[in-house]
Amino acid sequence: MMETLDKHTLKNGMVLLGEPMDAVQSVAFGFMLPAGAARLPDGCCGAGNVIADWIFRGAGDRESRQLSDALDGLGLVRARSVGSSHLAIGAALEADNLAQALELHADIIRRPRLKEDQFELARQLAVDEVLSLDDDPRQKVMLKLREQFYPDPLGRSAVGEITELKALTPEMARRIIDDGFNLSQTIFALAGKYDFDAVCQQAEGLFETERREGPESVTLGPSGGRYTHLHNDGAQVHIGLMTETVPPTHEDYYEARVAISVLSGGMSARLFTEVREKRGLCYAIGARYHGLKEAAGITCYAGTTPEKAQETLDCIIGEFNRLGDGISDEEIARAKVGLESALILQSESSSSRAGSIGSDYYILGRVRGLDEIKDNIEQTTADSVSGFLARNKFKDFTVVTIGPEQVTMP
Amino acid sequence: MEFKSEKLNNGLAVIGELNKSAKSAAVGFFVKTGSRDETGRISGVSHFLEHMLFKGTEKLSALEVNEAFDRTGAQFNAFTSEENTVYYAAVLPEYLEEVTRLWAELMRPALRDDDFTIEKNVIKEEIAMYKDLPNFDVMERCRTLHFDGHPCGNSVLGTEESIDNLTAEQMRDYFGTRYAPNNMVLACAGDFDWDRICSLAAESCGKWPHKAIERKLDHDEGSKKKERIGKANLVREHICLMSAGVSAQDPRRFAASLLGMIIGDDVGSRFFWELVDNAVAESATMQFGAMDGTGAFCSYIRCSSENVTRVLDTVGAVFDHLAQNGVTKEELRTAKNKLLSALVIKNELPMGRLVDLGFNWIYLQEYLTTEDEIDAIKTVAVDDVHSLIEQFDPRNFTQFCLGPARDNQ
Repeated sequence: MMETLDKHTLKNGMVLLGEPMDAVQSVAFGFMLPAGAARLPDGCCGAGNVIADWIFRGAGDRESRQLSDALDGLGLVRARSVGSSHLAIGAALEADNLAQALELHADIIRRPRLKEDQFELARQLAVDEVLSLDDDPRQKVMLKLREQFYPDPLGRSAVGEITELKALTPEMARRIIDDGFNLSQTIFALAGKYDFDAVCQQAEGLFETERREGPESVTLGPSGGRYTHLHNDGAQVHIGLMTETVPPTHEDYYEARVAISVLSGGMSARLFTEVREKRGLCYAIGARYHGLKEAAGITCYAGTTPEKAQETLDCIIGEFNRLGDGISDEEIARAKVGLESALILQSESSSSRAGSIGSDYYILGRVRGLDEIKDNIEQTTADSVSGFLARNKFKDFTVVTIGPEQVTMP
Repeated sequence: MEFKSEKLNNGLAVIGELNKSAKSAAVGFFVKTGSRDETGRISGVSHFLEHMLFKGTEKLSALEVNEAFDRTGAQFNAFTSEENTVYYAAVLPEYLEEVTRLWAELMRPALRDDDFTIEKNVIKEEIAMYKDLPNFDVMERCRTLHFDGHPCGNSVLGTEESIDNLTAEQMRDYFGTRYAPNNMVLACAGDFDWDRICSLAAESCGKWPHKAIERKLDHDEGSKKKERIGKANLVREHICLMSAGVSAQDPRRFAASLLGMIIGDDVGSRFFWELVDNAVAESATMQFGAMDGTGAFCSYIRCSSENVTRVLDTVGAVFDHLAQNGVTKEELRTAKNKLLSALVIKNELPMGRLVDLGFNWIYLQEYLTTEDEIDAIKTVAVDDVHSLIEQFDPRNFTQFCLGPARDNQ
C-alpha cells in the first residue's frame, strides 16, 4: 500500500499536492481557499455561501451561462463547500479534461466577473437556504450545536445569519474575495489519473502571483451556552450533543478515534446497541469525530419522539461516561478493523482521497500515508485507549435540541 | 473485468464481476420485493422485515450478528424501495467470503416475537423522522397520489397505524412467499474468488425451497391529480411533480435519464436557468426513475410561499417549450457528458458497481458492462428524446404541495 505523494510549491507559496491512483480513469481536484466561515470579518456570517455562488456567475471572458455550459461540457461533477477554515471548490471528472477544467477554475478564482445584479441573486439564494433550515431540523440542530460548542468564531454557521446576509453588500463581498482568495495560502489537492509535471507547469502559468502574507490567526472568544432549545412542532425532538476531545495534531489522536469507534463505529458499538437495539429509543443515532486545526469534539445526533427524548439523552450521556469504566479487547479489535477498513475503502475514491490529502496538509502540515495511519491505529491497545480516557474524562456536554419538548441536562 | 454467473437448482442467481485491481469487494443480496408487493393490511412489512433480518437466526442473536459484521470491518446496510430490498456490504477482499456467508445465513431469519416488538418502536421512530423531512414526505405523498391505487404508490414505511396492527405472523407469511431463492440475486463486485463464492452459495443457499411467485406489471399513466397539505411548522413550499415514463426493461430508459437531466439536473438544466439561477426557487430538480414495468419522472422544487404561482407558471412554460420545440443537440451533448462522468466515477468503486450489476440482473436478467452502458448513453439521438416527449408529455403531471398552513386550513 505504498502510495506516492506528489508535491510542488509555486513561488507565491501555493501548495500543489497529488496522489496518483492506478486503478481509476477519473481525477478529482480541490482548491482550498482560506476564506472559511471562521475567517470572515464579523458581521458577514454566510458571506462564504454567497461568494461560492457569485464567483460561478461569470468569470474571465465568459458570462454566467457560458461558464456553466463550459463546465458542464467537460462533464464535471462539481463540488463546493464552505467550512470553518476554507471555502473549497473542486470537481471530479474524466482525466482527459483536467487541463481545461483547471483553466476554467483559474478564471473562477482569479477573474470572477462579480456583477452586482448577480450578487443579489446569489444573496437571495443564501437567505433562502437559511430560511429552509427551519424545515430541516436535523441539519439545523448540528449547525447550531457547532456554533455553541466551539469557541467563537470556529463554529460559525457556514449557512449564515439572515440579518447579516441582508446587510452584506457587493463591496463587502468583493473585499472578502480579495483578502480570502489568497493563493499564497491556498492548497490545491488532486488524486486519481494525472500527469503531475503537466499540472505543475500549467499551475505556474495559471496561479503564479505576487506572494502575500497570510491572514492573522483567529482570536478565539468564548463558547456558547451548555443547553439550547429551539421550539418546533415537528414529529421528533432532534438532539445534538458535543463534548471536547483531542485535535488531530495531538499524540493521543488515534486513541480518541478508537474510543469513538467503540462508542459508535459499527452496529455492535455501544450507542447503537444500548439506545436503539436494546431500548428502541431511536432510528437515527450516532457519534463521530469532528476535528478542526484549533479544537476538536465528538458530535452525536439522535432523533426521537418527544416522550422518549429525556431517556435518550440520559442514555447517551451514560454511554459516554461508561467508556471510562473499561473496554474489552474484543471491542478494541472491532473498532480498529472498522477504522482500518473504512480508510482503505475511502482511498478507492479519487474525490475522497483528494479531500483527505488537502485537509491533512492544512491541519498537520504534511500528508499522512495510508500505512502510517494504519500503523498508528494498529498500535492502540485497550490499555492505551483506557489511559487516554482516564486522562481526558468527559466533563462538559454541549446540547442543542429542536422539537416540541425540552430536555433537562444532567 | 470478467463476468461470471451461475444459477442454483432452486433458482437463486449468483453473479459476479471480477476486478482484480480493486482494493475492496462488495456483495449484495437483491430481493425482488417491496411495498408494491404488499396489501394495505400489511403496509410497511417489506421494510420492517428488512430491519428484522438484522435480528438474527435460530443460532445468532442480534448482537452476535452486529459483532460478526463489525469483526470484518464491513460497511454494511440494507434498503427497501417500492420494489426491491437490498442487503449489501463493502469489505476488504479477505473478508468477502465471511461477510457473504453471514448474509446468506441471515436470509433465513428467526423473526422472533420479542425482537419484533422492540423493533416496532424503531420503525415508528423512522416514520416520525421522515415526517420531519418535508422533501422526503412530499415525494412519498406525491407518489401515492400519482399512482392512485396502482401498487407502485404504496408507502415503503407504512403508517404508524399499519405498523401497530402488523403481527409477527403476518410478517413470517410474507417472508415465506417473497424470499424464495428464485426471487433473489446474489451479486459480487471487485476483487474476490468466484469459485469460493459459488461453492459457498451452493452450500448455504442450495436448500432454500423454490416457490411460485408473481408480480403484476401494469404500466401506469398517473392520476394527474393536484393536492396540497399545509402544516403549521413548515416555512417553505415543497412541491413534487410526477409524470409517466418508460420502464426499467425499456431500452429508452437511457434517453429518459438524459431528458430528466436536461430538464432538471441540479446545475445547468432548464429548471436551473429558469428557476434557481434567478432565485425564484432555491432548489428545482428532476430525475427519471425506471421501475418494473413502469417508470416516472419526478421533480422536487422548494421555494417561498409567495413564489409558488410563479414557479408553477414557469414549470408550465418549460414543459410547453419542450413539447413544442424539443431539446437541442447541444443540451443533449452536455447531458451525456455529465451522465457519463457520474457513471464512470461511481463504477470505480466496487460498491457503486454492485448496485448496477444487481439491478440489471433483477430487471433484465442481463449483464451490462460499464462500456455497454456508456455506448447506450452515447448513441441516444435528439429524435429519441423527442419521441419520448411525444409519448410521455411532461405536462401531464400529478402535483403535490406541502407547505405552511394557510389561514383557511
